[in-house]
Amino acid sequence: MRFPWQRDRKQQELEQELQSHLQMAASERAERGESAERAQQAARREFGNVELVQQVTRDQWGWRWLEELMQDLRYGARMLRKNPGFTLVAVLTLALGIGANTAIFSLVNGILLRPLPYDQPDRLVQVTGFYPKGAFAAMRSQMQRMDVAAYVEGYEFNLTGNGIPVRLTATLVSADLFSVLGAPAETGRTFRPGEDLATQNNYVVLSHHLFQQRFASDPSVIGQWINLEGMQRQIVGVMPADFRFPSPQTDVWIPLDIDPRNTVSYWAGDFMPVIGRLHPGATLAQASAEIRLFQSQVFSLFPWPMPATWNAGVSVVSLRDGLVSDLRVRLLILLVAVALVLLIACANVANLSLSRAAVRGKEIALRVSLGAARSRVVRQLITESIVMSAVGGALGLTLAAGGLSLLKSMLPADTPRLSDVTLDWRVLLFAAALAILTGIISGTAPALHASRTELTEALKAGSRGTTHSASHALRRALVIGELGLAVLLVCGAGLLIQSLWALSHVDPGFRSENVLTARVTPNESFCNDPGRCFSFYRDLVRQVRVLPGVANAALINTLPLGGRVQKRSVNIENYVPASSAPEPLLWMNAVSPGYFQAMRIPLLRGREFAETDTSGNSRVAILSADTARRFFPAQDAVGRHIRLLGQKEWCAIIGVAADVRGYDLRQSVPQWMDGTLYLPYGPGASLEDGHVPAEMTLLIRSAGNQLQLEEGLRKLASSLNEDTPIAELKPMPLILSGATSAPRAVTSLFSAFAALALILGIVGIYGVISFFVGQRTREIGVRMALGAQHRDVLKLVIREGLSLTLIGVAVGLTAAFALTRFLGSLLYGVGATDPLNFAGVAVLFAVVALGACYVPARRAMRVDPIIALRYE
Amino acid sequence: MAPRYQNRIELLQGTLDLLILQTLQWGPRHGYGISQAIRANSGEILQVDTGSLYPALHRLERQKWIAADWKLSENKQRVRVYRLTASGKKQLLSERSRWEQLSDGIAGVLSPARRGGQA
Repeated sequence: MRFPWQRDRKQQELEQELQSHLQMAASERAERGESAERAQQAARREFGNVELVQQVTRDQWGWRWLEELMQDLRYGARMLRKNPGFTLVAVLTLALGIGANTAIFSLVNGILLRPLPYDQPDRLVQVTGFYPKGAFAAMRSQMQRMDVAAYVEGYEFNLTGNGIPVRLTATLVSADLFSVLGAPAETGRTFRPGEDLATQNNYVVLSHHLFQQRFASDPSVIGQWINLEGMQRQIVGVMPADFRFPSPQTDVWIPLDIDPRNTVSYWAGDFMPVIGRLHPGATLAQASAEIRLFQSQVFSLFPWPMPATWNAGVSVVSLRDGLVSDLRVRLLILLVAVALVLLIACANVANLSLSRAAVRGKEIALRVSLGAARSRVVRQLITESIVMSAVGGALGLTLAAGGLSLLKSMLPADTPRLSDVTLDWRVLLFAAALAILTGIISGTAPALHASRTELTEALKAGSRGTTHSASHALRRALVIGELGLAVLLVCGAGLLIQSLWALSHVDPGFRSENVLTARVTPNESFCNDPGRCFSFYRDLVRQVRVLPGVANAALINTLPLGGRVQKRSVNIENYVPASSAPEPLLWMNAVSPGYFQAMRIPLLRGREFAETDTSGNSRVAILSADTARRFFPAQDAVGRHIRLLGQKEWCAIIGVAADVRGYDLRQSVPQWMDGTLYLPYGPGASLEDGHVPAEMTLLIRSAGNQLQLEEGLRKLASSLNEDTPIAELKPMPLILSGATSAPRAVTSLFSAFAALALILGIVGIYGVISFFVGQRTREIGVRMALGAQHRDVLKLVIREGLSLTLIGVAVGLTAAFALTRFLGSLLYGVGATDPLNFAGVAVLFAVVALGACYVPARRAMRVDPIIALRYE
Repeated sequence: MAPRYQNRIELLQGTLDLLILQTLQWGPRHGYGISQAIRANSGEILQVDTGSLYPALHRLERQKWIAADWKLSENKQRVRVYRLTASGKKQLLSERSRWEQLSDGIAGVLSPARRGGQA
């Protein structure tokens, strides 16, 4: 009986009930002899006011609040329709604010909040350190609180034999990865324990998309053998389409090759991330304690000393947090920025409502004087504001839905969990809650203010509405607040833009213009006979050099900014590592003669590699300038010697090359490495596993016509053996700009929000100054009648606008001084409180605000004293 | 205008509820019937105002002390007929005893001598 939708029926029943009462009373009177007409009248008189009886009876139903709410909603909607101009501006402002917030929240939701799509995701954890196979094997056997699994991303394998050879992206995994994630295969099975040990690991699990595209979704492929990188592997299973660990790029999962006899690969191969599943009842803290104990013991297992800083402070965090670690900060910064934009939008709408409340003061005063309780008026005004923000929210949600794909395309493609970003129920709930909250925030101040209107004053003030000083103070405070927030955001955006500019104008150490890169990706086994490999590459470079338009060509194993690193421990002549520290770890680049010339990397000392250096008869090396300075601080590095750990021959250092930002634009090598080493691509350039690099990147400097060059290269590629494909033609400038894609995404979003804040702030000050002029039309008329010049009027208006702006800028700069340091990790080449930036923002706001004040000021100057005085 | 009615309901609330429950103990009745019965049984002294009666009926119904059904009256008219529920009967008993205590108390205050004499 309590349900609102039964209300209409109940209302009808009540009417019938009272009607039957009246009829019975009348017919009883008629039976006593009264005439029908008199009886009706008497019964009615005795009954009293039917409407009123209905109303007081209805009050007993307990739906009064609902009835009032419906009434308020209807009234609110009517008021908004009656003021289309105001409504349009306010709704659009709120729609932008809510839409931007909803879009950013859907990123936060998909990437940070949504549970991982695995079984019991809250039990999944990540160990914050990185471990080689040997340390992982020890960890796996010792952990009591959790099951652990390791993986390493980004391997590429050639799939040959089944039609055209393709290059696959593989993730190497320990056999337990799938069971730890709780992810069963869609068809077939995943790996069994032990299937990641050497000689027992010739299996492969396919991703759903590879299964579809390459194997036509034919379930009979399970059990078949395929040739991956020259090795036969049996397909044991296919994962479901929604299984995308660690990233959607993975085409196949291949077991690790855990082999304790291969000391180098076992203890110095890939340092892998480790994930785990807590045992029932175990906590994060217990798992963390256990991993710290393990970390303190694992050093003694290594066949050589490990630096004490390796995995220092390791702990166990939830997998969801672990996967997105550094993205979290960026997203939260964006979320804060966009929330500030919404606050500014709220202040703007509140300001608009305040100016309208002045007009509506009379209506409200009348309602109060007719007996409406103040609380009732406040409730009604806030309801009105919520109706408005609900419309804004609906529009904003549409904006967010449309903008989301654009937003996703702006983010770097390797952003984790990007595919989990959708408009789900959490986002809808967020948008709805935001709309209501926005309505309350932007509606409360005007509502409280309006309800305080005094009747006599309101009626006296006539059609001009009221001129409360309290109202003006509130409006000034709102505008100062929103200008302050806008200044804060623009300062932040300025710093980010400066950083991005600095980062994209970093000298990478090489000249990327007119350089085309192409990866040559033969099977790993192609170089089992190194001689064959060297002659192939020598011929390739020779062929490329004679293609039309080619100025120069060279080879390197790990392209600068290419995302791949080749580490190698070395002995350095006369250099003794501090006690218990390991030998220096350098980034080993194997390059063909002519590399430095092709990349225009200056040689600071000595000479470049020559063809004669590739034979291996005389071992030579080149160091980067930083590395030379570090290990030979007092003397010339040229003429000294360096040796790869495990080799007998020392290499003579023949040159020192200028530094190259090879790892990213901020540093030439990762933090954990000590320098950069160049070796000529030849017998001396062996990797940790003893082989020479099979995969090389071709660098071609063209004299001009890139298109012609690409065509020539494709022709050349098609003439090659299918075992040695040329893939990924990429201009070097593109690789260079790719290195700034992540900061560029954050910076452009943040700047867009700051621009929005600036516009809203300017609209805000324009609104307040217009209102100020409107209120003072009469005063201005009087002044002009008394001889004031246009200039004086202009001064009056500008003074008001400028004082508000300057206070707002002061507030904003103070906030910026306190808060921009939170941007610290995103800044490059600029301090968090860069004075030039802050001063620029202050000037920008002053100029733009002056412009915004000038429009109403001109209106004030055009006031005709006669009309102004007559107008009342 | 509403507040005036509300005051009167409050003034009569306890008693009116008791009178309605008591009236329904003799059998189901519609609203008009209830008001007539109270009037007749009180010797025409108590006249229940419809503005108090119907809110009281709907309130008692909400508290589940009485229940209502639509029925046809003798002259074939659809009327809403109220009847006492089981919990209404319990409520009637407790309200009666409270009323008796109250009227004893009031009587005692109004004629202290007689009360003292009896003691």
